[in-house]
Amino acid sequence: MAGRPIAPRLGRALLLAVFSALFVLYVAGPVAWLVSSSLQTEAQITAVPPNWLPPELNFGNFDAILNAAERQVTYETRRQGDPATGGFLPSGAANLLPSLWNSLTVGLWVAALNLLLSITAAYAIAVIDFRGRRATLYTVLATRVVPDIALIVPLFLVIRNLGLINTLGALVVTYLAITVPFTIFILISYFEGIPRDLYRAARIDGCGHWRALRHVYLPLSLPALVASLTFAFLTSWNEFVFALVLTQNVAAQTLPIVISGFVMDFTTSFSFVNAAGVIAIIPPVVMAVLFQRYIVSGLTAGAVKG
Amino acid sequence: MATITCERITKRYGGVVAVDALDLTIRHGEFMVLLGPSGCGKTTTLNMIAGLEEISEGRLLFDDKDVTWQPPHKREVAMVFQSYALYPNKTVRENIAFPLQLRRTPREEITRAVTEVAEQLEIGHLLDRRPSQLSGGQRQRVALGRAIVRKPSVFLMDEPLSNLDATLRLSMRSLIKHLHHRLRATFVYVTHDQAEAMTLADRIAVMKGGLVQQLDTPEGIYARPANTFVAAFLGSPQINLVQGEIAPDGSFARGAFRLALPPGAAQPGRAVTLGLRPEDVGTLAPGLARLEARVDLVSPLGSETHLEVVAGDDVKLTLRVPKEWRAQEGQVIAVGVDPARLHLFDATTDARL
Repeated sequence: MAGRPIAPRLGRALLLAVFSALFVLYVAGPVAWLVSSSLQTEAQITAVPPNWLPPELNFGNFDAILNAAERQVTYETRRQGDPATGGFLPSGAANLLPSLWNSLTVGLWVAALNLLLSITAAYAIAVIDFRGRRATLYTVLATRVVPDIALIVPLFLVIRNLGLINTLGALVVTYLAITVPFTIFILISYFEGIPRDLYRAARIDGCGHWRALRHVYLPLSLPALVASLTFAFLTSWNEFVFALVLTQNVAAQTLPIVISGFVMDFTTSFSFVNAAGVIAIIPPVVMAVLFQRYIVSGLTAGAVKG
Repeated sequence: MATITCERITKRYGGVVAVDALDLTIRHGEFMVLLGPSGCGKTTTLNMIAGLEEISEGRLLFDDKDVTWQPPHKREVAMVFQSYALYPNKTVRENIAFPLQLRRTPREEITRAVTEVAEQLEIGHLLDRRPSQLSGGQRQRVALGRAIVRKPSVFLMDEPLSNLDATLRLSMRSLIKHLHHRLRATFVYVTHDQAEAMTLADRIAVMKGGLVQQLDTPEGIYARPANTFVAAFLGSPQINLVQGEIAPDGSFARGAFRLALPPGAAQPGRAVTLGLRPEDVGTLAPGLARLEARVDLVSPLGSETHLEVVAGDDVKLTLRVPKEWRAQEGQVIAVGVDPARLHLFDATTDARL
């Protein structure tokens, strides 16, 4: 590269920088605005020209969320906060923290059970040579061909007949139906990428299938396992349509349902909704930061082999 | 103690027969080499003995116990793979200790066994490294260590030296031979390398197309190959195979090429293939058949010289001669061949006559 002229190199660097900046703006812009506006009053976010950064840090919205349970919204008190000045609380505000808890509970259960179910299925399909192995794989994949929306009504009827409407269990079971086939697929690709001789060596050294899975496949699949864990948690965390149909009140409603309810009020407090949004993205962001290096290699590994 | 008996063992993949009704008895303490080109069924046979491949038909016995349906971890065999197959997430120490841990061996005993094995294989200084930090030769030593630490009665080796360079292969070869002498266990060793087979084996089973072509000691197989395939597979440079027929005077003939055979070797007029090992030629002497040929190419190797010669009209032969022979390209030479050392095969069945 020594002989290359400097001008094209500079141009290339400049182009890269410009497009990178555009991309970052596109991806991170809405998030930045979400965070910024959650720290402003309603009047400040609706001001023209807008305040890109909060004029002063205002934690009123977060305070309102954390204390929503104590502030009863009644016919008399509902006008106490003027939307224009902040302090306005939508009627469902008190449901926010319970729904956050619901979302976490469902997400963690889904993440854990999803992994537990998928690992054994993927190991069997990837490693054990049994009759009907291909058919099993295709059946698993075929379940993902049906669009979720087509499943809603039958699923609602099944869940209702089981008496599970408005329970967290109904959500866990439903989300597993979405995540397990996909996770099985990721793990199969990953397991098949592990040299077959390691499996043979393990069997010879004294491992049955359970021990081969535990001592050889799981330690070597850490990236794929973490990716699957994250995938299942995020799918559950973000899911809206099934939760809307299968839950009715604070006993089982998840965060997306409750937050969307804030927008449907006669008046919408954008600052409050955005503060709720910030709270909603904290768990996934923490998870992503913790598992970042695994997720990247996990997903590529699955992708290349799959 | 372990004598391995394969009784008409067959392996089918769909319609393809990989191993065809194999009958083979491997005696206790024997070093058996399965030798053959790739696709001959040798590795499949080894995997069936290990329990890694299901046996489609037939029975497998260890001593008198039927193990046909036993999973690998119940068979008490150890195996060394061409790819080493070390667990990348474990250190050398953990790799070697793993089979013992699975058997719930007490910790002190594991430590003692691992140290002992590491000393034997001279890998004591590597115990805390991971496989990725080792060279090929070191990895294969670790793999051997993992196999011998359990002191099993059967060792299975699947081309363990194929991934090593030539020098290392030689030293590992003698290491394996020493191990066999010391452990006195039954070894089944798969390779496509005839030199490995010849140097290591008590007996060799030469395989092709899922069938054993010949089962004998290395000397026996080399001296009396059962067919042209076996004859050609062992020996370097390869045996010279010449198609022709038996002349009325009982000698071998192909065009102008004649070579005297031992009396009554075959019926005159019969179509045969003649086998002449390159090294089975010497200076002319009474009692030897005369072979005249024109030297086409001289390849001096230092310790010996290889000559490519043309005899008769079109019979190309390779001869291995002492380095002192000063042959010139284009020169016509006459060498002596001991008729008793010639091999004759049926031209249609390729079987030894």
